[in-house]
Amino acid sequence: MASATLTAAGQKTKPSLKVPAWVWALPPVTGLALVFLYPLALVVQQSVQPDTGGTSLQPYSDVFGSESFREALGTTVWLAVGATVGCLVLGFALALVIAFVPFPGGKAVAKFIDVFLSFPSFLITLALLFIYGTKGMANGLWTDATGASGDGPFQFLTTPWGVLLAEITYFTPFVMRPLLAAFSQIDTAQLEVASSLGARPLRVVRKVILPEALPALAAGGSLVLVMCLNEFGIVLFTGAKDVTTLPMLVYSKAMLESDYPAACVVAVVNIAISVGLYGLYRVVSRRAGA
Amino acid sequence: MLVHSRKGRWATWTVFFVLFLPLFALPLVVIVAASFAGHWSGAFPSGFTGEHYSAATRGESLQALTTSLLTALGASLIALAAGTWAALAATRLKQRGDGTSRLSRLCGRTLDTLFMLPVAVPSVVVGLAVLVAFSKPPMILNGTSTIVVLAHAILVTAFAHQSVSAAILRLDPAYEQAAASLGARPAYVLWRVKLPLLLPSLTAAAGLCFALSMGELSATMMLYPPDWTPLPVRIYAATDRGATFTGAALAVVLMAATLLVLFAVSRIRTRASYR
Amino acid sequence: MASSGIRFDSVSVAYGKNGENTVLDGLDLTVEPGEVMALLGPSGSGKTTALRAVAGFVRPASGRVFIGDRDVTELPPHRRGIGMVVQQYALFPHMRVEENVAFGLKAQKVARAEVPGRVADALEMTGMAAYAKRFPRELSGGQQQRVAIARALAIRPGVLLLDEPLSALDAQLRSGMLAELARLHRELPDVSILYVTHDQVEALTLADRIAVMDRARLQDCGTPQELYRAPRTAFTASFVGNANLLPVSVGEGAVSLGGAELKVDTGDVAAGVTATLCVRPHLVGLGPGPNSLTGTVSEVQWRGATHRLYVDVGGHSVKADVRELREPPSLGEEVTVHFAPEDAVLLSAGVTHG
Repeated sequence: MASATLTAAGQKTKPSLKVPAWVWALPPVTGLALVFLYPLALVVQQSVQPDTGGTSLQPYSDVFGSESFREALGTTVWLAVGATVGCLVLGFALALVIAFVPFPGGKAVAKFIDVFLSFPSFLITLALLFIYGTKGMANGLWTDATGASGDGPFQFLTTPWGVLLAEITYFTPFVMRPLLAAFSQIDTAQLEVASSLGARPLRVVRKVILPEALPALAAGGSLVLVMCLNEFGIVLFTGAKDVTTLPMLVYSKAMLESDYPAACVVAVVNIAISVGLYGLYRVVSRRAGA
Repeated sequence: MLVHSRKGRWATWTVFFVLFLPLFALPLVVIVAASFAGHWSGAFPSGFTGEHYSAATRGESLQALTTSLLTALGASLIALAAGTWAALAATRLKQRGDGTSRLSRLCGRTLDTLFMLPVAVPSVVVGLAVLVAFSKPPMILNGTSTIVVLAHAILVTAFAHQSVSAAILRLDPAYEQAAASLGARPAYVLWRVKLPLLLPSLTAAAGLCFALSMGELSATMMLYPPDWTPLPVRIYAATDRGATFTGAALAVVLMAATLLVLFAVSRIRTRASYR
Repeated sequence: MASSGIRFDSVSVAYGKNGENTVLDGLDLTVEPGEVMALLGPSGSGKTTALRAVAGFVRPASGRVFIGDRDVTELPPHRRGIGMVVQQYALFPHMRVEENVAFGLKAQKVARAEVPGRVADALEMTGMAAYAKRFPRELSGGQQQRVAIARALAIRPGVLLLDEPLSALDAQLRSGMLAELARLHRELPDVSILYVTHDQVEALTLADRIAVMDRARLQDCGTPQELYRAPRTAFTASFVGNANLLPVSVGEGAVSLGGAELKVDTGDVAAGVTATLCVRPHLVGLGPGPNSLTGTVSEVQWRGATHRLYVDVGGHSVKADVRELREPPSLGEEVTVHFAPEDAVLLSAGVTHG
């Protein structure tokens, strides 16, 4: 029976003059190729074939050999990993309270987090300048309290720690949002049954909530990791000469030193790392059903 | 639900607000406070003045605001059109049944991935790539406002594509099929049924794109011509030369403008949602 | 309105990579012009797939679908000239009732001057004229259903496809709508209706003929009376009217169940074979009589006006629906039940399922 079905289907042709589906995909793909894929390809090309002519991997060995690149790569990676871990821990704790220890105004807090997401990242650094800057609030409070003269003890803003604090502050909401969505799916009856069976809150969190939240945590975490690797505004506003990340290096090589081949090499490295991680994020979030 | 004793609950809330307020609320409060401050050299700002705002809303700063608004408007319209088109095309390619092959579904997924790619590429690199590509023939756009709008559109299209795709997935196919059974051609169904039903999601996507474009700094820093300076660049310039209070006032203007547009968009959305 | 029937010409539908999952298997069925045909079957029986093949939303792997004389197998849905009403109504939420009803007319470019009149006619016919300016969200489920029907009728289709149209309504509304649908069909005698349902009451009430489907195949087709009184298969007998199906061995003018001899019309079933005896529960009486069977009561259910007794007769469960008993038998009690010879139907096939 099945074989007869198949042969009949094979003989069939489509007489109606419908435009095939792929034709509709052509205009957006052409547009994207022209303004995005072609420029990216040019960046890759420039990294091995500078305008001066000739093909060489010289720019790569130059850049890889330079101290500033290796330092930037190291800084970028540890800042991104550190910020991601911080965001995951903080975001999980805060989302847990909003979802499972509800308080009046909890909805407003969730709304505030949504609004927070729509502001640019550099605002955080700007605010931190007023709070922890040399003449900022924290140092002012310190000198007022101790009566000490001179600068206060908070001088970390121009160090990588300042960038880390800003990144954790800015990106934590990106973890909280998917987490809150995942928590709203958990049946509260499950928690009540678990605690009626004598499980203490920490055990409930570990045994019931954490497994449910794991996909959202993984998806949110990998998104934040990619965004931290690519973050530019926070680092630029810090104004610290000794904190250089890969995007910062691309900017300074291209705009301040006009060394385009080197900028392109750093850009290619940066693309490779973040596109690779982003691919991972897509796989993880698809598995999580997000 | 999780913490049952009264004491335990209060302790949890205390910890929550001790973390939440300084980390998330304080920065915004501080920026607003600084925007009114005459000086700030102790624990608290002093000498309140509205002067920074009058500086922030005239001359070049006002022009920067207009520039940002126009850029964001242009970029989000382009992104919305391109993202929606791509999302619709990808959905049609991925559709099961009716003679679609595995190849066609693969094409649909590839289209989705291509349009999501700009999220993964660092914005600075997008700026660099656009700069490299459009500084030489055949398309010289370097030094024009077009190049800024174009870069913003590239960066935000992915978000438009993602949210419209998700909305199309949620759309009940029964509407489309009911329309087709009533004799409506696919184009008529798209225009009279699908797009109106997607309208709430489309406006939400537009709001998101607008907000992202308003705050875009990385690619803009690589591309902006002197006569097309968006607000974030202006904020950076002010902060960099030490005029932090003016920077704060400009930041408040930026936030207010963004929120205002988001609010207007959400009003349209409430009007447009039927269920 | 051109009257046109529907014809399935060995239509098969299959899903899966190699078409290994057949959901409709070689359906041959003709709906005459003006006829109401119910497709009755449990979920997964292929009845909705058959309807969607007529509408054009599934593509047959083989076979042809005709509407009137037209082979519509290759036509896209919007060129088939059908009206369709689905379970969730699918009213366009962004349009008022009148715009919903006018949708098909505008989509088919009916002359602008003609539209308001036809919209009013369709709303009048379904009793929804007073609600023309409302949005669907402002209507109850039953009202939404009427608008959905008005919308399908406004384009004056030759065939009307109804896919479980009443299953989202509560029981009381359902019987009202059933009467309403019967009235609509009397007013529009030329429209052929294909009515998909899993509810035998809807099918028995409304249909001129019923096609019983199970496991992707057509099991039986006939008028409600034929199917109810003289089912041709065990599946039909159990699905339509929930009959007792008893395995019996056939003798001359009688059959035997276990040791008991039962007088029934053996018809053309040959003596000496095993067959299935089909008796409706409400035709089984309590107490001695012709064709009596003795067994023990295994369960008693009180259903208000009736009692349903399950009697275990030599390992076979016999259902009997009797008028409410003042003193129902207790569990394990020995009782005798009986049925009239003319109330039993002998099916030559063995009990396969149900």
